[in-house]
Amino acid sequence: MNTYTEKIRELASNLLREGKVDLVIGFKEGTVPMATAPGIARTPEEAEGFVWDVNCSLNLTNYLTNKKEKIGIIAKGCDSRSIVNHIIENKISRDQLHIIGVPCTGMVDKNKIRGLFEDEITEFKEEGDAILVKTAAKELTIEKQDYLRGNCQTCMHRNPVIHDDLVAEPVVEQELEDPFKDVKAIEAMDADEKWNHFENLLSGCIRCYACRNACPLCYCPTCFVDESNPQWVGKGQDPTDIRTFHFLRAYHCAGRCTDCGACEDACPMDIKVRDFTRKLVKDSFEIYGWEAGLTLDQRPPLDTFKPEDPDEFIK
Amino acid sequence: MGNLLEHMGIEKDRLHFSWISSAEATKFVDVVTKVSEAVNALGPNHKLVKNAG
Amino acid sequence: MTEKKTKIVAFLCNWCSYGAADLAGVSRMQYPADVRVIRIPCSGRMSPKFILSAFREGADGVWVSG
Repeated sequence: MNTYTEKIRELASNLLREGKVDLVIGFKEGTVPMATAPGIARTPEEAEGFVWDVNCSLNLTNYLTNKKEKIGIIAKGCDSRSIVNHIIENKISRDQLHIIGVPCTGMVDKNKIRGLFEDEITEFKEEGDAILVKTAAKELTIEKQDYLRGNCQTCMHRNPVIHDDLVAEPVVEQELEDPFKDVKAIEAMDADEKWNHFENLLSGCIRCYACRNACPLCYCPTCFVDESNPQWVGKGQDPTDIRTFHFLRAYHCAGRCTDCGACEDACPMDIKVRDFTRKLVKDSFEIYGWEAGLTLDQRPPLDTFKPEDPDEFIK
Repeated sequence: MGNLLEHMGIEKDRLHFSWISSAEATKFVDVVTKVSEAVNALGPNHKLVKNAG
Repeated sequence: MTEKKTKIVAFLCNWCSYGAADLAGVSRMQYPADVRVIRIPCSGRMSPKFILSAFREGADGVWVSG
């Protein structure tokens, strides 16, 4: 994706030079291999530090909440949907934004790659669809396609839905037999199995709230887990508290989640937190025919009332 | 909400929604009875209960 | 548990179901005694947090009624 990097640098520095935006939010080289860090450029020179590779998996929309400046932002398909969400929820206005769209072919699952090696990765290089990974002990070439993140494998909107510039021609969208296979697998379990599934899933949770912080949807000034009067959730490692936190965090994303995968990426314990949100993505699609963040001129199903809304659950 | 609770492994019949006007005392009695029957059929709930102490 | 009875937490809207419950009481109708009624000013006051709290505190069932 090196042509992407060049194009992003060019577009970003032009925007800054012409004074169209005050700053550009993008990705900069991280301090270790196989990592990029979100970065801000306020001058054309700083924009030369932007990079683009298969590790740019965080969702930059997170940094847009309530900003006052004119902002240029780099957005993948899922990020652009989150931006739409932000605009719909009045967290930023469309006029403030200059969106540099990146047609995306998926980001890699870093934990999966790390799992291949016993020691630390010292070099990570992309060559077309192949990736060269080196550690002190060995060297491997892997196919990017085999190591995509779960949400990239089931992604239906790889191209940005809104953008002012595109760094490349739109890529071909994936055609999937059944995007909700993973959800259906859990749905097929009985109540106790489901309970145990999530019990195991969450057993590693250390309550660091990285999933919440990485999520572009979680912008409440005071999160319900931090409220102390009344205290909805205890602070400790009690399984019930952990479960409550994950349940409500997911529930707050109902009809808004774009399945960008930032929560899973941010998780230091490699917990598949998307198992919760995926269910909601599936439900809003099946019940309301809604996919979050695709259009600016429609309100989300959960903040409008329509007479034809389903009401079978009400007695 | 019910759907996600069920997804997580709490039986759907534990959570009920209804709509009753203040003049519908008979419907109220009716629904209470149904809710109570449904929950009793499932027995006591141990999941998601925070143990004291 | 010493008591075998299930506990159902009922969140009733002041103007609808709470009125209905009142009327049922006034009319001396019989209904199961395992519901514990919480009056809320309107069903719009309802929040998912309430439902989770109820379960966390040991409710066997939750019933929301407008």
